[in-house]
Amino acid sequence: MGEELNTGLCLGYIMLTERITLIEPRAPSPSEVAKIVQTRLTEDWLAVCIGLFVFVLSLALLFGIDLLGWAVTPSVWTAPSKALAPASKHYASLPALLSLIGTYVFLLIILLVGVKALRADLKRFALGFTAVFAVSYVCWFLGSWAYIAATPDKRPALKIPWSLNLTNESGFIIALLAGLIVGNFLPRVARSLEEAIRPELYIKTAIVILGGFLGIAALEQRQLATAVIFRGVCAIIEAYLIYWPIVYFISRRYFGFSREWAAPLASGISICGVSAAIATGSAIRARPVVPIMVSSLVVIFAVIELMVLPFAAQHYLYSQPLVAGAWMGLAVKTDGAAVASGAITDSLIRAKALAAGVAFQPGWIMGVSTTVKVFIDVFIGVWAFILAWVWSAKIERRPGEKVRAVEIWRRFPKFILGYVATFLIVLAIGLAAPSLIPKVKASMAQANLFRAIFFLMTFFAIGVMSNFRKLWQEGIAKLAAVYVLCLFGYIIWVGLLISWLFFHGVLPPTVKG
Amino acid sequence: MIEPCVGEELRRMESKYEPLLPIERKLIWYTFSTGVVLLVIFVLFSRMYT
Repeated sequence: MGEELNTGLCLGYIMLTERITLIEPRAPSPSEVAKIVQTRLTEDWLAVCIGLFVFVLSLALLFGIDLLGWAVTPSVWTAPSKALAPASKHYASLPALLSLIGTYVFLLIILLVGVKALRADLKRFALGFTAVFAVSYVCWFLGSWAYIAATPDKRPALKIPWSLNLTNESGFIIALLAGLIVGNFLPRVARSLEEAIRPELYIKTAIVILGGFLGIAALEQRQLATAVIFRGVCAIIEAYLIYWPIVYFISRRYFGFSREWAAPLASGISICGVSAAIATGSAIRARPVVPIMVSSLVVIFAVIELMVLPFAAQHYLYSQPLVAGAWMGLAVKTDGAAVASGAITDSLIRAKALAAGVAFQPGWIMGVSTTVKVFIDVFIGVWAFILAWVWSAKIERRPGEKVRAVEIWRRFPKFILGYVATFLIVLAIGLAAPSLIPKVKASMAQANLFRAIFFLMTFFAIGVMSNFRKLWQEGIAKLAAVYVLCLFGYIIWVGLLISWLFFHGVLPPTVKG
Repeated sequence: MIEPCVGEELRRMESKYEPLLPIERKLIWYTFSTGVVLLVIFVLFSRMYT
């Protein structure tokens, strides 16, 4: 019986980090906790491995070998038959359907190898992934329909009189909506997909690949890239030092939460959602149910932000694109939702600017969102260490207990190493051999295709695991009240102010010609 | 399932309020004031040097 109960908690913890659901809390044994921590680390490293694998394959183009050019890419279409095609002209003769199947099989194989290390049920994963990939790609296909996606400059060529001007990344929003429908109205389907609903894995892999793409941007605009990185570092000051204490104070003083609830809640709302809530819960030795509940809230509200903030940014901040990008990184919690919001904001603002006659280079807005978010992530371990020290040495003083510095490394989000590696490799190649920059750019364009697919699956997966009804049934309206008050009454606005202070007047480069 | 535990616990918390300890007040105040001071410094620095 005890083992069954402990297994229940393990499941809860794993869901906490990957597939969040609300389940009954029970105490784990130390060995199970160790196993869970190991699993979590493996997922971060897995994202690094998959991301680097795609990155390295794409770099074969430097030696004249096109290893990824067969991957399918969607174009803005008016006739469905012309929507899909292989990415590279080297594979122009390959039928689009074969290209699509090849992309699916390639991703299935590398993910199967990966999730085997996570001890996942491979059969269930393969079935779930097939559905996730299929639905996500259909959403991308629909989002690429010219009447939805075409920007004003493309309308004459496509011979259409109007379009919603959303670019083909509107497929992300369609994927999110599809996921929300499955998660909230088709619970059996959602359960059957559970093994493949891994938004954290998908987004971390995408972020590793994104590093190379941003490396290209940095090569082309070194001064601007330096300014963006510096301002990104500054932004973490806000997240940790300005957000956290206020949210903690409000939770404790005005909502009467205990320390055990207030600290993970403050970290979840202020810093980086799920990861921060888990790290803080662990640092202060909160019961497992606390970060589970907080994380559920984080995901739900991240989805709401994801659906609202990019459009608000497009409406009010299109003349300050990088302010908008930083705002997404600071205001939207969870890596997936923040970077995804950055991607949508990037396309929405560029489309609006284009309509006004300004063609910003793609990727800079999303790059700022990612940079800000990544720097916030980097310091989660440090913050957890500080809290662990305050709690153990001052609040719940335990004789003889010491907090070890190795904890910082243990809690460090390892996928960031992959992001930094791809960024630096591209930068180093470009700086050492400027003549190779066009080839590196072509390589990253191919890798970026897979980044987009991982993004797409992240959106769908976030939607599937956002069960609004279930959360409400759990009777945690009070937690939600703090979240709503702090997020919409404080964090979003302070985030906007700080983004404005650091990024206003800093514009992305424009497309030449 | 979880509702009787967490829901009830959250409701009970109001009657069993744990007052803010001096160390918590320090943590809140020091963190926030450091954040504001560094923010001003970084904004000035970023405007002058980048």
